[in-house]
Amino acid sequence: MWRDASTWAAEAAAVFAKEWRCEFRTLYALNTLALFAFTTLVVVSFSLGPLGVERSAGSAVLPVLLWIILLFSVAAGLPRTFVQEEESQTAMALRLSATPSALFCGKLLYNLTLVLALEVLVTPAYLIMTSLRVASPGLLVAVLAAGGFGLATGSTLVAAIIAQARSKGTLFSVLSFPIFLPLLILAVELTRGAVFGDPGGVAVPVLLLYDASLTVAGLMLFPLVWNP
Amino acid sequence: MLTPPRGRGSRRPPLAGRHRKDGSPPTLQGGAAGGHCGYISPVLQLRFENVRRRFGRLSVLQGVTGGVGPGELLAVTGPNGSGKSTLLRCLSGLLAPDGGTIEYRENGHPLDAAARRRRVGVVAPDLAFYGEMTVGENLEFFARLRRMPPDRGLAVLDRLQLPLDRMASALSSGMRQRLRWGWALLHSPRLLLLDEPFQNFDAAGERIARELLAEHLAGGGAAVVANPSTLELDDVAGRLDLGR
Amino acid sequence: MKTFSAWLLWLWMCLVIVGAFFYAPIAVGFRSPGSSRILFFHVPMAWTSFLAFIAAAVWSVKYLLRRNPRDDRAADVAIQLGLLFGVLATVTGALWANIEWGQYWNWDPRQTSLLASILFYAAYLGLRQSVEEPEKRARLAAAYALLGLVVTPFLFWVVPRITTSLHPDPVVNQSGKVDMDAPNLQVLLASGLGFAALFFWIHNLQCRLQALSERRATPKE
Repeated sequence: MWRDASTWAAEAAAVFAKEWRCEFRTLYALNTLALFAFTTLVVVSFSLGPLGVERSAGSAVLPVLLWIILLFSVAAGLPRTFVQEEESQTAMALRLSATPSALFCGKLLYNLTLVLALEVLVTPAYLIMTSLRVASPGLLVAVLAAGGFGLATGSTLVAAIIAQARSKGTLFSVLSFPIFLPLLILAVELTRGAVFGDPGGVAVPVLLLYDASLTVAGLMLFPLVWNP
Repeated sequence: MLTPPRGRGSRRPPLAGRHRKDGSPPTLQGGAAGGHCGYISPVLQLRFENVRRRFGRLSVLQGVTGGVGPGELLAVTGPNGSGKSTLLRCLSGLLAPDGGTIEYRENGHPLDAAARRRRVGVVAPDLAFYGEMTVGENLEFFARLRRMPPDRGLAVLDRLQLPLDRMASALSSGMRQRLRWGWALLHSPRLLLLDEPFQNFDAAGERIARELLAEHLAGGGAAVVANPSTLELDDVAGRLDLGR
Repeated sequence: MKTFSAWLLWLWMCLVIVGAFFYAPIAVGFRSPGSSRILFFHVPMAWTSFLAFIAAAVWSVKYLLRRNPRDDRAADVAIQLGLLFGVLATVTGALWANIEWGQYWNWDPRQTSLLASILFYAAYLGLRQSVEEPEKRARLAAAYALLGLVVTPFLFWVVPRITTSLHPDPVVNQSGKVDMDAPNLQVLLASGLGFAALFFWIHNLQCRLQALSERRATPKE
């Protein structure tokens, strides 16, 4: 049953606004993300710096570590969007009032802004602490945006699935990491290209294509996951 | 799946013997306060047949049949664990029955479970709202979700005396129940599904809620109420006893 | 009829085994040509695991449309078998890789992609374990199986990019499909058919077994 786009968008916008309103009052997700990301970041920098990995050997590995930090922070902080609804029992009211696709998009946009905020926080700190020089910053920004979008959309769908299961924390990692693997591979390759100055090549459209596929899959599968 | 396919022939006539007591067709009582806007559907019908539902080994509903039409109230009674809440969940579309059919028509159009979910008004003990937002913000959010102008139904909120500026987490249990009623009536539903609707109410709250229910029925709406057997309800058109 | 087809399958697989060891000529270009006969089993097993995952997706769609628990059970068993064949394919591949290239694991694109899809479908089983209510479990699992349809092609498309770029040494394509003479091809295809039939046969048996044990666990009231 399709209504006009303007009201559907307004519904998604309402979900988005509600998420951020609640988030600003508790700061739960942002705190979790920031704390986890910075702790991991410090540990990683320690292993590369004082513990003495060669600078030249290190720089091949650094792009990978950045994405691992992002991946684990996302797994720590993002599933809460749906898990919270089920645990505080507000999911019932949502199921009785929201259009599933609008709900999914609202949550997806919220998760996207969280991931982008995380990246804005972590990446400069990472570059500074590892003294990593980036040859094409523009490409790096593009990769972070595209990869971040993939992380957000995958997380939203998997969070919706695990919110209705037990052992939610570990299950999220188990379910989502295989989904993120292609994304990670592409993002790391592109990040490496940004650091060393190689052009993006074919990897960029493939990454965008994967993001799009995940989003479409999410939109189609979410109503099945959300409703009985 | 379990509801009949759409477009199955013309409107069915209302079930025999289900008109209001004086035989007149349901109409909106002029100037009914309480937030029901002037829209009224001429034909409203809920019919469920042989609804079955089990949870694992436990068979909770074993073939329940019933229905309501405009202006009618169906009281579902039975001891704890007899499946009253489960039945209401199935009727609201939150739970899919294992067997049987649930048919709901408004204006002669059959609505499937997804549409029914958004159209009905539900009060249930496990209905909860966002503690980090105020009462007003909660209701505004759900009004936006239902694509209504946020100020609709304010009259209902007035009557329930809901403190719009209080945080939802700071409400007493009686106030929380009033909030559930306010939320249920916000979009002027034609069908109310009430699971223990007067729970936690003080005398004033219960009075207001009963008035709202009476006005809803008088305005041509229907209601299914799951009721502990000790509670009295007026104007009951049908009873469904799930006791074993 | 069922017994007859089972015996026919048995005969077919016997012929395949015999053909793999005696009929097919020694493959040239491999370091240890005798042991390369493992490929007649390794490759079809990998094919069969893909077949199993695709079949699981089809059954998942059927379940979501008609909500028949039998389709959910079929999807579950298909994925279990897909994992079984996938693991067997990985193991046989590693054994052969050790003989051919000196190490069990080479980050060969196919090896890695297969491993990643095994991880994905093992997660499917983990998901099923974590949900108690049968209807919810079936629905969530079906959704995840369908998500796999989107993810696995990308795994097989994307992983080769990175493994070939990390390891510039040309790793011989394991299937060695180019330049296969007729007898080799015949045995390979026959083996493929045999394994596919084996999958459906085991699938049928296991579905019935699971149905029986479920019926025993929940007596009808």
